[in-house]
Amino acid sequence: MLNKYSLQRFYKGWQIFIKNPLGKTGVIILVVFMFMAIASFFVPLIGPMYDPMTGIDPDIRVSTGPSLTHWLGTDNVGRDLLAQLLEGAKVAFIVGLSAAFFSIVIGTLVGMVAGYTGGLFDAFLMRTADIIMVLPSLVILLILASLFGQFNIWIIVFIIAIMRWPAVSRVIRSQTLSLKHRPFIEASRVAGASHLRIIFRHIMPNVLPLAFLYMTFRVTAAILVEAALSFLGFGDPSQVSWGMMLQWVWKSGHMFQAPYWLIPPGVCISLLTLAFYMLGRAMDEVLDPRLRKEGQS
Amino acid sequence: MHQNRTIPKKISRRWYNIFFTRLLPAVFLIVITGMAISCQKSQDTTFLKIGLPEEPRSLNIWLGTDINSRNILSQIYQPLFLRHPKTLEIIPWLAKEEPVFDEAALTYTIHLRKAKWSDGSDFTSEDVLFTKQLFFDFKIPRYYSKWKIIEKLEAPDAHTVVFHLKEPSAIFMSRVMTAPMVSKKEWGPVAKNALTKEKPLRILQDFQVEKPLGTGPFILHEYEKGAYIHMTKNPYFFGEGKNIAGFDLGPYVDNLLFNIYGTTDVAILALKKGDIDYYWWDIQPGYIQDLEENADIDLHFNKKSALYYLGFNLRRPPFDDKILRQAVATVVDKQFILNRILQDYGTPMDSIIPSGNHFWHNPDVRKYGAGMDEKQRITAARDMLKSAGYSWKVPPVKDDGTLTTPSDILLPSGEKMEKFVILTPPADYDPKRAFAGTMIQEWLRKLGLPAFARPMSFNSLLETVKGNHDFDAFVLGYGKLNLDPDYLGAFFSSDNDRPNGWNMSGYTNEAFDTLAAEQRLVVDVEKRRQMIYKMQEMLLEDVPYYPLYNPHIIEATVNKRFEGWVEKVNGIGNIWSLCVVKPIK
Amino acid sequence: MKKSSYILVKLVEVAFIFFVILTVLFFLFRLSPGDPISKMVDPMLTPEDMAHLIEQMGLDRPLWEQYIIYVKNFFTGNFGFSFHYGEQVSTIILDKLKWTILLFTTSTVLAAFVGVFLGKIAAWRKGSSLDNVMSISALVCYTLFIPWFALLLLWILGFKLGLFPLGGVLTPSLWVGNASLFIRILDVLHHLMLPLLTLFIINLGSYLLLMRSSMLSVLREDYIITARAKGLSEKVIRNKHAAQNAALPVITSVGLSLAFSINGGALTEQIFTWPGIGKELIFAVSNNDYPLAQACFLLIALVVLVANLIVDLLYAWLDPRITY
Repeated sequence: MLNKYSLQRFYKGWQIFIKNPLGKTGVIILVVFMFMAIASFFVPLIGPMYDPMTGIDPDIRVSTGPSLTHWLGTDNVGRDLLAQLLEGAKVAFIVGLSAAFFSIVIGTLVGMVAGYTGGLFDAFLMRTADIIMVLPSLVILLILASLFGQFNIWIIVFIIAIMRWPAVSRVIRSQTLSLKHRPFIEASRVAGASHLRIIFRHIMPNVLPLAFLYMTFRVTAAILVEAALSFLGFGDPSQVSWGMMLQWVWKSGHMFQAPYWLIPPGVCISLLTLAFYMLGRAMDEVLDPRLRKEGQS
Repeated sequence: MHQNRTIPKKISRRWYNIFFTRLLPAVFLIVITGMAISCQKSQDTTFLKIGLPEEPRSLNIWLGTDINSRNILSQIYQPLFLRHPKTLEIIPWLAKEEPVFDEAALTYTIHLRKAKWSDGSDFTSEDVLFTKQLFFDFKIPRYYSKWKIIEKLEAPDAHTVVFHLKEPSAIFMSRVMTAPMVSKKEWGPVAKNALTKEKPLRILQDFQVEKPLGTGPFILHEYEKGAYIHMTKNPYFFGEGKNIAGFDLGPYVDNLLFNIYGTTDVAILALKKGDIDYYWWDIQPGYIQDLEENADIDLHFNKKSALYYLGFNLRRPPFDDKILRQAVATVVDKQFILNRILQDYGTPMDSIIPSGNHFWHNPDVRKYGAGMDEKQRITAARDMLKSAGYSWKVPPVKDDGTLTTPSDILLPSGEKMEKFVILTPPADYDPKRAFAGTMIQEWLRKLGLPAFARPMSFNSLLETVKGNHDFDAFVLGYGKLNLDPDYLGAFFSSDNDRPNGWNMSGYTNEAFDTLAAEQRLVVDVEKRRQMIYKMQEMLLEDVPYYPLYNPHIIEATVNKRFEGWVEKVNGIGNIWSLCVVKPIK
Repeated sequence: MKKSSYILVKLVEVAFIFFVILTVLFFLFRLSPGDPISKMVDPMLTPEDMAHLIEQMGLDRPLWEQYIIYVKNFFTGNFGFSFHYGEQVSTIILDKLKWTILLFTTSTVLAAFVGVFLGKIAAWRKGSSLDNVMSISALVCYTLFIPWFALLLLWILGFKLGLFPLGGVLTPSLWVGNASLFIRILDVLHHLMLPLLTLFIINLGSYLLLMRSSMLSVLREDYIITARAKGLSEKVIRNKHAAQNAALPVITSVGLSLAFSINGGALTEQIFTWPGIGKELIFAVSNNDYPLAQACFLLIALVVLVANLIVDLLYAWLDPRITY
């Protein structure tokens, strides 16, 4: 897999990618957020006051604006907002990447199997994919969340993955279809390789890059859905996420009084999802030469 | 390659033209007009405007059990007796005077006032008989369980009723006589029809009430679902012009307009703008500073008959041990909760019965950690646990008396204490309880206890705690406890310790059970009071629940148009206020 | 396959899927923990009272019996009585439906129109600064976090500038004072503005981007080159040939993006307390009001399925490449 040819391709792709303004911006923003997420591990070490969930400032009892000790201010019980924001970055990455990863795993499997087997089974799988794709994920999550009570963050991730794999599977399937009839696959079949072996040894390595491309789009969906869920009050209450922060500012009645509390989480959610989306679009242009600007190779 | 074919003319130039030349200006016009309209502030004082935080569930009194429905319905349907706003004693309302109690025959003879229903017909003993029959026929939740002690109800004449009881009852006046009276005329046909169906109670509750007949100060005029409720003065209100409980009753406003808001934020803004005169809901302390600075707004602080507490599961370790519970009670810093979480708007709670309920509250129950600072509290708790056989790998207090981070507490049996979970409602549902849970976790950890506070969605929480009893501890509360202390029996009698029973902690104490059963039958209030006092003593000794705090109820009114709000336990939103509030001249 | 049998197959498919959703929903609701009674935190409600209420609500029958009743009821249009409001669920839904339809259709139509129009321009001027600005803005709009954006609009336009009301659908004091129909309509429209603006901006982004990429792929097609060779003016090529063909996938994608729009719609309704189906669903779901939540959800699912069916059929009818 990792031969000279694919490395070359990768390098070339990277060059195109980095020249693309979308790609550049996306990467920069992502790096910033990654620093934030990493920082969230260290900030509580500064002092118990900075724990995002339980860290209250003994001197502060109401929501206050930015100050020297609290760079973004505090929420209405005296917790540091910046610490919460950083923690939110960590949660967003975890949720986004895990949900995307799981949906890729499921989507790739389904896509490959469907494309390879064809026929009725293929039709059935794709129809199922179609149906799931059109159902509003938030609405479904709401019903599930309220029915089954508390959802812990991993269950939310898992359910988002289940709602979001169809888009991946379609792409993988068409890729599989085109690969199916390539000579090297035919050759393996003649040589007596089992279907499973063909799928996993030959097809999968070739569709994986595409799968990972689509992962970026899944990440945006996952982050937005988790944030919406937390915002409405159905998220995991033991996690401080950006959606949770927005819920607190809304429900504690500080929406109109505390812009320093209202604005940052929302900006972060939007920026992070934007960054992933930009990344995805840039990668799209790398993989699909027709989308590149005129004049580039 | 696809062919060039025409598709339905959905997108053509003409439409774009229309959009930009017609629609946009129209939008602009709407905005301007809208602003103009909303800027008209009427100084009309014939309307008292009240904000509600949520749509009332139903104006059918048998279904509308939520607080917003009850607020509205309590202006319509009236009971025979209700509580004096200041002394909290039971006084006659639809009844003319105090009842005549025949101890030997176990009867209460009550003379009714000459009141009228809102359509002009008379309120008679027929209506009382009918209401009683309704409770019995349908086993109406909340009311039937209290009324079933009535053996017989007679109506010797149109304005007299005689209740025959099966046994003496302490709660007859406070719980039975405070039930609302409904009109036979309005509910008769509905009840008759419902009784012929398979699920009569459901039919009764689902009946769509259009024009409820009431004896109260206001009647329903218009109900625009989701937006507002318009009530007008009841011309037949029996209290008009009379002096009851020291108040000259009106009402002095012709109209009530209840605006339904989605969030407290928006309602407070409406209050500040003057769109409403009163917001009928508790306001979080966070708003106080902002509202205090506003000269047009008055803040009202009153005590609540409420209980917010830490509950334990006595059915299993570790909280099956009384000493541990008492130690936990000792380390909980109630002052902190009062200062921080309630921001000083509240009273510490020492007994299960709040201090605002001054007659029944026992001020001499055992207090834990009172007046101690953190070090003293932890040391005292450590001593209690040590003498009960607990030990630590690293104890919380060093030999020289300084505090240290403890670890690995061992039970008297020598085993390590397993981690336990304190369940709380989520922060959006009630930030105070959620935060209290977090802080309690921290305090217990300082004692070496492996405590974990976990917010849980309210429904799940109730299911876990009340339904399947699978929990260690929890922080919950009752926002509006009845002023009659009979609920002590409901919460702590052992026969209520069953799935979905109200004894969530699993407290079993025979002596307590006996007292609880007995006090129900004692009519002499002084004698009963002694028993209630004793029950509280037991509860604070055994601590199945540890009372944490009792928040004040904080409300806000606009002082420019109306005055005369009646302050009482549980706030100014009550029938007295509405009957007495006057426009400012 | 002939066209008519294709349609039939599609219809049967939709019906089947809907039935599956119906069944799954039933079992989910019934098998979940918690029930409406447990939300009544009143110490004076004895366990007997609770058992009585459960019995009255029919929650004590065996599961399969409840299911049969459930399916039967659904097909006769009886959605039961809401546990919370005590009213017929169908009445409640009809009441709220009009508001959702008002908000939803206006925002979708406006967003589609403007999005297509701007996307057309962006694609035509690909690479220019105008295109970049529009694309980036569209991208930003697409990834905005709806509740936050709605709160922001509420704060700035509603509170700080006081241009719009802070929620709800009408001004009570106006309606009580016997205002004329014209004023009432204006009042409602005034309240509509903010939620409309929110949804419009969110959806605009996706329509713009879609139209842009669709247009870009159309512009590479041979017949455009032919048209240019014929000497037709740029404007005519753009609007008559390219745009009309490029718009087709956008229209059909309305079906796919419906899920996205519905999520957004529910959130918007919640923030602006716009009394629509979305907000009612959220409320019913937090109150364990089974009949109401169920009906809201089924309605949404039905709308999604039917919309996609229509889009499928439309696409098939219009694009001769599709084989039935």
